[in-house]
Amino acid sequence: MSDPAMLAIRDLDVHFPLVNGQLVRAVEKLSLTLRAGETVGLVGESGSGKTTVGKTALRLVRATAGQIEIDGMDVIGASNRDLKKLRQKAQIIFQDPHSSLNPRMTIRRAVSEGLILNTSLRGKALRDRVAETLDAMGLSAQFHDRYPHELSGGQKQRVCIARALVLEPDLLVLDEPTSALDVSVQAQILGILKDLRATRPALTQLFISHNLAVVRFLCERVAVMYLGRIVEEGPVEQVFDDPCHPYTRALLSAVPVPEARARPDRMRLTGDIPSPTNVPKGCSFHTRCPIAEKGLCDTTPPPLRRTGEARMALCHFAEPMLETPAT
Amino acid sequence: MTKEPLLDIRDFSLVFDTFDGTYHAIDRVNLSLQPGEALGLVGETGCGKSVLTRAAFGLVPTPPARITGGSVKLAGRELLGLSDRELRQVRGRQVAMIFQDPMTYLNPVFRIGTQLIDAIRAQSGGRIKRVEAKAIALDMLEKVQLPNPERQLAAYPHELSGGMRQRVLIAMALAAKPRLLIADEPTTALDVTIQAQILDLMAGLVDEMGLTMIMISHDLGVVAQVCSRVAVMYAGKVVEDAPIAQIFDAPAHPYTQGLLAALPHPFRRQDRLASIPGTLPDLLHPPSGCLFAARCAQAAPACGVPVPMRPVGEAHRVACTLYDDERKKEPAHV
Repeated sequence: MSDPAMLAIRDLDVHFPLVNGQLVRAVEKLSLTLRAGETVGLVGESGSGKTTVGKTALRLVRATAGQIEIDGMDVIGASNRDLKKLRQKAQIIFQDPHSSLNPRMTIRRAVSEGLILNTSLRGKALRDRVAETLDAMGLSAQFHDRYPHELSGGQKQRVCIARALVLEPDLLVLDEPTSALDVSVQAQILGILKDLRATRPALTQLFISHNLAVVRFLCERVAVMYLGRIVEEGPVEQVFDDPCHPYTRALLSAVPVPEARARPDRMRLTGDIPSPTNVPKGCSFHTRCPIAEKGLCDTTPPPLRRTGEARMALCHFAEPMLETPAT
Repeated sequence: MTKEPLLDIRDFSLVFDTFDGTYHAIDRVNLSLQPGEALGLVGETGCGKSVLTRAAFGLVPTPPARITGGSVKLAGRELLGLSDRELRQVRGRQVAMIFQDPMTYLNPVFRIGTQLIDAIRAQSGGRIKRVEAKAIALDMLEKVQLPNPERQLAAYPHELSGGMRQRVLIAMALAAKPRLLIADEPTTALDVTIQAQILDLMAGLVDEMGLTMIMISHDLGVVAQVCSRVAVMYAGKVVEDAPIAQIFDAPAHPYTQGLLAALPHPFRRQDRLASIPGTLPDLLHPPSGCLFAARCAQAAPACGVPVPMRPVGEAHRVACTLYDDERKKEPAHV
């Protein structure tokens, strides 16, 4: 924990009022710290608030309460001038590369734009820098003057990665960057992202995904979200191999494993994720939890428990050595 | 394998006529399905898996599509060449389909009950009365384990979650006791815990009701939960057809091997994933030989001529020259 924090989120609330007076509690009392150079996965089902966390971290969405700092700079109260500096430090990549690229800009132009806005690079120096970044993504000179519609999905996503990296950010937020891609293309993009850990060791990545296998492949640490809260957090291998929170267990057990033999230790949740306008009292997971206890889980919010070295779980029953599911 | 197949697709080819020329979407596909079998049809975007199963039952309009050859037999009866009216009798009663996005297939302004009852009555050709249809609807909703079926009949689609809507569509599809269910990416729009519920349900229907099913998916992991056999498609061709265990333990086609090597595994440490270099061939001008050859590390001159399917094991067939007697002499690294 001696490394400086690149992204520090403390007690973040993000609420969206609805016209009927209800409140969508998208993010509730969420704290998450990413050390410089770390790759952290943020996983959860749709409606869990994971995308909202990513967007709020870059102030694309306004926080309701809490603090966010990127490399020590306040994000929530940043002035417009500070914000410009922040946006250079922190970049984001979205799920659908097609809708993230301007159809009327060549990819050279798209990648140049950030540099023109934020640096004094011009002329040959600018062109060289852009070409170098695109080349590093496997897009050779023949592609540089093409328009997005002339590229495949995987190529477009590589343009988006180049556009984010050309500013040499310290923090990269990736929101489901491979969900729209076929598996063989996804493998290529994941390879590029994993290589960044070696070629740019200082780059911090927040990887938002519903795909647990992808997170296992790419990330060092993982935070699992349910209804706006982080319910479990820890090193990816420990969390996946020995989950402490019943929701994490259920989520992992629901992953379709590409193997012919079904696993015997399956654990199924009944029902759907409740609406974030009407979050259950007590532990928000108690309505679907197989180990919930009446009079405890439905009334008292669970404490955040340390369940191991650098591991935490939000559960009344989380002990350092919770009994493992039947094998 | 001596039983008569329920579905028998032979040398099926389909093209799309476009302004740029003829697009060879499906090329001489053979696929057969025994009663009670659950087949997974797997492939990446654009491989033709959805077009194949829709065109076989007359759901792809001509023009632009044109079936250029082959035959599709359902329980011995040829479907190609049937009139629209006859095909409508086949669809819904003998073959039912469910699709990826359940919301798109439910009418937002009618109650679930109304839609189910109308569908059940239409499937019967109007012979079933409304009251009976309602009883069938309730029974089906129970079979698909929808909570509070009585109450859900009065609900509108928007009041149901994605998983519940997919259960309603499965109930609707199975109400007429079809001989074949085609499920086209039935869980792709659902969250992983809901996907697991729906896959359990479908696996149960196959085991308990003896349902015959083709499940189309881009996800080998999903198919593995339900199906006993897998056909892998690439660029409009079936390139491998094998029992599920064979696909995972001994994939024969280099494309299948590439797909598996590209998959991240949730419970294994992997340092690298192998991606498949190159892109799909241009199906406006397809090469005459193996369509995967240009991306294949093991391609040889023999791949330049059409490569038919050949057996490589018990119920395991593959379209690859690696398994030719002549090429077997050289060591094939798999």
